[in-house]
Amino acid sequence: MDNSHVALVSMMLKSESFSPFRCDRNIALGINLTSLTKVLRCAQNEDILTLKAEDAPDVVNLVFESSESDRLSEYDIKLMDIDQEHLGIPETEYAAVIKMPSAEFQRICRDLMALSESVAIECTKEGVKFACQGDIGSGSVTLRSHTNVDKPDLNVEIDLTEPVALTFSLKYLVNFCKASGLSGQVRLCLSNEVPLLVEYGLANNSYLRFYLAPKIGDEE
Amino acid sequence: MKTRSRAPVKKPKKEEGEEESTTTSTTLQPSETSPPRLFVLPRDATPEARIVTLPNPATSTPNRYYFCPEKGFYEFTKIAAPRRTPRSWLLAPRRNHKESLNRETGVTFQEEQELVKPLDAEAQSDSSDDTSLSNGYVAKDADLYIATPLDPLFLLLPILAPPSTSAKDEDHLLFVSMDDHLDACAASSAHVKQLLRHQKLRAMLQERMNHVCDAVDAGAENMYRLSKDKLLEELLVKARRLATNGLPASMEQKFVRAALEVPVMNIRREESTISAVSTDIAEDVPSQDTGSQAPSESTAESQQTADSAGGASSNATSFSLASTAAAETLSKASIAAPADVAELLQVRTAFNFIATSYLPPHLRRGLQQMLASTKEVDFTPLDAHLKHLDSLRSQAQALRSLSDNISRKRSAVEDEEAAEVRAEKKRKKEDEEKKKKTQSHGVRQLQKADTSGMKKLSAFFAKAPATKAAK
Repeated sequence: MDNSHVALVSMMLKSESFSPFRCDRNIALGINLTSLTKVLRCAQNEDILTLKAEDAPDVVNLVFESSESDRLSEYDIKLMDIDQEHLGIPETEYAAVIKMPSAEFQRICRDLMALSESVAIECTKEGVKFACQGDIGSGSVTLRSHTNVDKPDLNVEIDLTEPVALTFSLKYLVNFCKASGLSGQVRLCLSNEVPLLVEYGLANNSYLRFYLAPKIGDEE
Repeated sequence: MKTRSRAPVKKPKKEEGEEESTTTSTTLQPSETSPPRLFVLPRDATPEARIVTLPNPATSTPNRYYFCPEKGFYEFTKIAAPRRTPRSWLLAPRRNHKESLNRETGVTFQEEQELVKPLDAEAQSDSSDDTSLSNGYVAKDADLYIATPLDPLFLLLPILAPPSTSAKDEDHLLFVSMDDHLDACAASSAHVKQLLRHQKLRAMLQERMNHVCDAVDAGAENMYRLSKDKLLEELLVKARRLATNGLPASMEQKFVRAALEVPVMNIRREESTISAVSTDIAEDVPSQDTGSQAPSESTAESQQTADSAGGASSNATSFSLASTAAAETLSKASIAAPADVAELLQVRTAFNFIATSYLPPHLRRGLQQMLASTKEVDFTPLDAHLKHLDSLRSQAQALRSLSDNISRKRSAVEDEEAAEVRAEKKRKKEDEEKKKKTQSHGVRQLQKADTSGMKKLSAFFAKAPATKAAK
């Protein structure tokens, strides 16, 4: 969860993604993201990463093995107590689910960011409309369902059970879009009065999910 | 001439003696109206020596002078204890003359005269039957009158230059014969008439007159007219002598050292309040001490005889023995004037002192103007130096008021508080910086995001049971 408690990130790496994977019992490791970033920067692209933690850990151990050379680097990150509430997120049936290229979503967010801080996403039968109203004017991007046979990554699929119109903070969305490199496709799931789910699918059924609370009311 | 009148002395004396012998009586006698006074007179004065009343040359009020036909005039210098520290004289007979005292009190008293001299011949002659002083006496006032030689020239000046002469005809004073001058003298005071019968005095006066007058030979006798140039010359000689012999300490302090004192220019910053105060003291002490304190409670007041109290409390006449040593040490260091400048100032101070003490006011002004322009002494370096000092002083004043302001802003108490506040701010800033460093760029950017109207996620998602992993 972010400092304002309006956004949430959840990343699931299934055990299939690891080889080997061993977990004797459920354990929560509180890791400072900044520290983790620092250590991960020490890794090289093709390195083999091993994550290890003891039973009652106070550090998490990261080992980077170079696949080409015999280089082996090992780091310990001190763990931290995460007193943040652990929210249970129910699997929800969303009123609208939009699948689109992640690059496209990033582009829209960036373009609209130039005009305003928030974007209204309207899903109708015709398509999905990203619209914003700013000091200098207004702008909107409308997408319709589109199928590209040659490049399935560029497909736009809109699955709609009922029309949805919600407003979100673009600043958060732009940050979500930084995950675009992980996946060619992004899934936006919307329901009225419910947080937006932005999901980037990863290999082996793993996923990276962002949740963002909608802006309700028009006091801005 | 009531230096010691008979009746009042005698009567209380006797009763006092009784009191001493019995020590039973508790009633105190009323204090004498004119108690005995102590005089120090020249040792070998002739018996004809008298105390006379003459007009004070400076103020033309009647004043007491001691006159000896052989030696000339003496003025009385009063040496008194400061009013705040009361003192008294114990006049006691000589111990080894106790026997003779019993037999003949007059003898011991005569011997005592060497120390305690009665003031007039009358008292002296009568003293043989006055047993009071020989029995011992406590004088209420610890005043001591010392007869110091006085140039008869000063007594002549009011006659030579009558105050009636206006500035216009000052240069056209008539030549007057010696006798006429003296007759004018005699007219002013009955005592003078008596004195002028002494031929020696006439000769003395004539001799002095020659020094300050233009003379013309008019046949049988010489005619005299006051010459200011000569007078100035004469006074300058006196002033130089006074300066070279050393001015009295209090005069030196107030008029020479204080005037030449170089103001403190560089006030150290870290203790600016303290140093500013100390310089204030250094400047105040000389001026106040000699200026206001000394006249009021100085140990001596010159020119003051028995019944003309306060007659000559002019600013320059305080021979204050009250120690100005402290002030002196304070200012001594900061005097960095050329030697000749200090000398000039001493001469000028001495001249002014003589002028204010002994010259009639109308003569004083003229002579002081003449002194400024005289060729005898060149005062220009002194004036230049004093001007320089003045500018320095005003600069220092400006600087001090400035530094006062600074120091007030940074007083010790406020300094502490300010330091605390500063430390608090610094700590907060450091905390923030630390936080910022641990925060990622994205988080920082998101802090600026407008989250108004956005519900917290906890409003949508219930708190998870520990089985989150099951999902």
